[in-house]
Amino acid sequence: MSATVPDDSAAPPIIETAAPAPPVRAGLWRRLLRDPGTALAVLAALLLVGAALLAPLLAPTDPYDNDLARALQPPGSPGLPLGADSQGRDLITRLLYGLRTSLSMGLAAVLLGGGIGAAVGFAAAYWPRVDGLLMRLMDVMLSFPAILFGLALAAIFGPGVRAVVLALSVATVPLMARIVRGSALVVMRQDYIEAARAMGMSDARLILRHLAPNCLSSIFVFATLRFGQVILLGSALSFLGLGAQPPEAELGAMASEGRNFLFFAPHIAIIPSVLIFAVVLAFNILGDGLRDALDPRLRI
Amino acid sequence: MRRTVNAALLALPALLPPLWGASAQAPGRNTLVVMREIDADNYDPPRSTARGAGEVAYMLSDTLVSLDWDQKTVRPGLAESWTVSEDGKLYTFKLRRGVTFCDGKPFTARDVAYTVTRWADPATRSPVRWRAGPVKEVRAVDDHTVEYELNEPYGELLYQLTLFFGSMVDQATVEKLGQNHGVQGFNGTGPYCWASWTPRQELVMTRHPNYNWGPPIYQNPSPQVERIVWRVVPEANTRLAGLQTGQGDVTQYIPYFALPQLRAVPSVKLSKQENYFWDHFMGFKVDKPVVNDPAVRRAVNLAVNRAAIAQAAFFGAATPADAYLNPNVAGFDPEAAKMVPSFNPDEARKVLDEAGWKPGPDGVRVKDGQRASFVVYAISTQIARVQSEAIQADLRRVGVEMRIQLWDATVAWGKLATQEFDAFFMSYPYISATDAFALYFDSRNRPTPNRMNWVDPETDRLLAEAKTALDPAVRERAIAGAQRRVSEANVWLPLAREQLWVASGPRVEGVRAHGIYGIGLYKGLDIRLTR
Repeated sequence: MSATVPDDSAAPPIIETAAPAPPVRAGLWRRLLRDPGTALAVLAALLLVGAALLAPLLAPTDPYDNDLARALQPPGSPGLPLGADSQGRDLITRLLYGLRTSLSMGLAAVLLGGGIGAAVGFAAAYWPRVDGLLMRLMDVMLSFPAILFGLALAAIFGPGVRAVVLALSVATVPLMARIVRGSALVVMRQDYIEAARAMGMSDARLILRHLAPNCLSSIFVFATLRFGQVILLGSALSFLGLGAQPPEAELGAMASEGRNFLFFAPHIAIIPSVLIFAVVLAFNILGDGLRDALDPRLRI
Repeated sequence: MRRTVNAALLALPALLPPLWGASAQAPGRNTLVVMREIDADNYDPPRSTARGAGEVAYMLSDTLVSLDWDQKTVRPGLAESWTVSEDGKLYTFKLRRGVTFCDGKPFTARDVAYTVTRWADPATRSPVRWRAGPVKEVRAVDDHTVEYELNEPYGELLYQLTLFFGSMVDQATVEKLGQNHGVQGFNGTGPYCWASWTPRQELVMTRHPNYNWGPPIYQNPSPQVERIVWRVVPEANTRLAGLQTGQGDVTQYIPYFALPQLRAVPSVKLSKQENYFWDHFMGFKVDKPVVNDPAVRRAVNLAVNRAAIAQAAFFGAATPADAYLNPNVAGFDPEAAKMVPSFNPDEARKVLDEAGWKPGPDGVRVKDGQRASFVVYAISTQIARVQSEAIQADLRRVGVEMRIQLWDATVAWGKLATQEFDAFFMSYPYISATDAFALYFDSRNRPTPNRMNWVDPETDRLLAEAKTALDPAVRERAIAGAQRRVSEANVWLPLAREQLWVASGPRVEGVRAHGIYGIGLYKGLDIRLTR
């Protein structure tokens, strides 16, 4: 999960190899935190990820143990600061575990979809002969809405986290491929690529040594932004009942469940929805902040 | 205080602008708007099993016999009287005189013969053909006498003839419309006549002017309302709001969580049917690992707190099921009911221990390397979700793992016909003990609806006897025997018995919940509008 959170240990390899740009290692963290909004988003993201990671330690109760006598208790009831869900389970516990599921789903989708997308993007940029074919293929994939794809996958494999991750990954591949191809094409025109070629460097080595590191900042920014979007999309799929299956907690599924009790126990729908909103907002602002911080043109 | 606040919240949507587009205007004088959740696939009585089709069919046409509010007593319908031959194979119905179809054509015994012959004809492809019984021939003796001849006795016949599948149809209309019978039009003998149908929106019917032959269970033999609009309002909260804004008058599709609050709304009247036979259960595939062990099935029955589930899933508006059938249904056996284990988790643990299921490292019991874990399939509904999660938690406490797979309704029925799962959730309407048990526990009904793969020659024999024996006492004994065999083997986990509530708005009088095949209004003859 730490891969999505820029901290000092993750930053150096990106920056040091960013050959055309001057070293930014020392400045990135500082520039990121200079904007109060971004600083707040970093803090929120760290808190959310930390809460998800430590859920088993932080959760006051067993996430699966129900107590039907407490079902739908409103926030502020004795021992239930945020109330209980329709099974009488502590909402705080469910939120922590739900956050864990949602973030893991998002991370898995970004890693899988982003990884495949980046490979396609590099290939398209590096070998112009396959460029047209690959990019048309990506266009075809772009034309399928992720929700439709998720529905189809759920019908085939049965609803579950696996189907949602697959659907989200598929929805991420073409976007990542386009971003990577774009920045790789710019890098491909640089003199040092020409030089490396002239030295007789192998294709694989050239892509890994020179092309990929120089595209990392855009990949990183996109992955962070995409993480937020994917969580939202994943929650939407879960809301439709395609995602996490009971008793697994997932924020979208929790909101969906609460929708039925909107009149009488609104907290069950509202609190998970607010949390989804907070996660998506934090990662979007963080992504924006990262882009600004990594953009040499905005550097003063 | 909290009740008032909730009632106020409930009324909140009433202040919002209408949501139904063009058809949103308040219904006119003497037009009753019935709101329901879903439409039917068609309105040809023998060709649809949907409750939505039955709701309309009971008003568009009549059945030979009708069913009283007690859901047990068969009353006259189009047949004034009937006799059964000694060998139980020949039913003779005397028809009421002066009955006409909506188009004015007189109704005669030939129409009965045509209707039943069509229902039983394999070419009609009726999914409920078996309900007509082992028909040999149905013939018109004269204009007002029908002979219904069977190949073998069928004690259930009169009950089955109360169901809408045998609603009278008009041969000329059927032949004119072909596959579109009940889609583009319908000509029946019912209190209301087909006017129009816009699928998934509304079905409109108008009063049948000559109609005065309603079943004796109503105070009025004729309909009191000029026009009925059956409107599809899929969203539960919109139906609740519609009831209070006057955009709809009657609905039986009330979300359970809203019942307590709805009772607090003075303008809404609620009618409840005590004798309502629509049950929820979980069935085990008795030939699949883990659940093939009778001890596991017994332990599951012991471990699940049905009362808590009825409260959580139905908000108290369902009765925890302590037997396979409703005690008020014809053929119910109290002895069999006693065999169904009641809630006792300690006993469940003991049963599992004794059967050799020892606690494993992850809390799930193990026997001979097999984990006490099984997969349950269900249609993805709110009730299924709450029910299944609660059962899952109850079972975890005794060391049994239940994995839940909920399927969207579009694929669920196909999935539920496979052998992929170990248990399943289902709910269904029934009319008698024999009706319910012959449907689910006959070995010939595999893979559906006998999804349990329950193959027991003794059950089959008892079911056959319950259907065909001439002596009612023998039939009674046979169906009681079948209930005991199944209860003893814990083939199901009975869960809850639904209650039927029909809510009506301020200008409606005379709504009484009936509940035949899950249908609230039945013929609705006493319903009238005060403004």
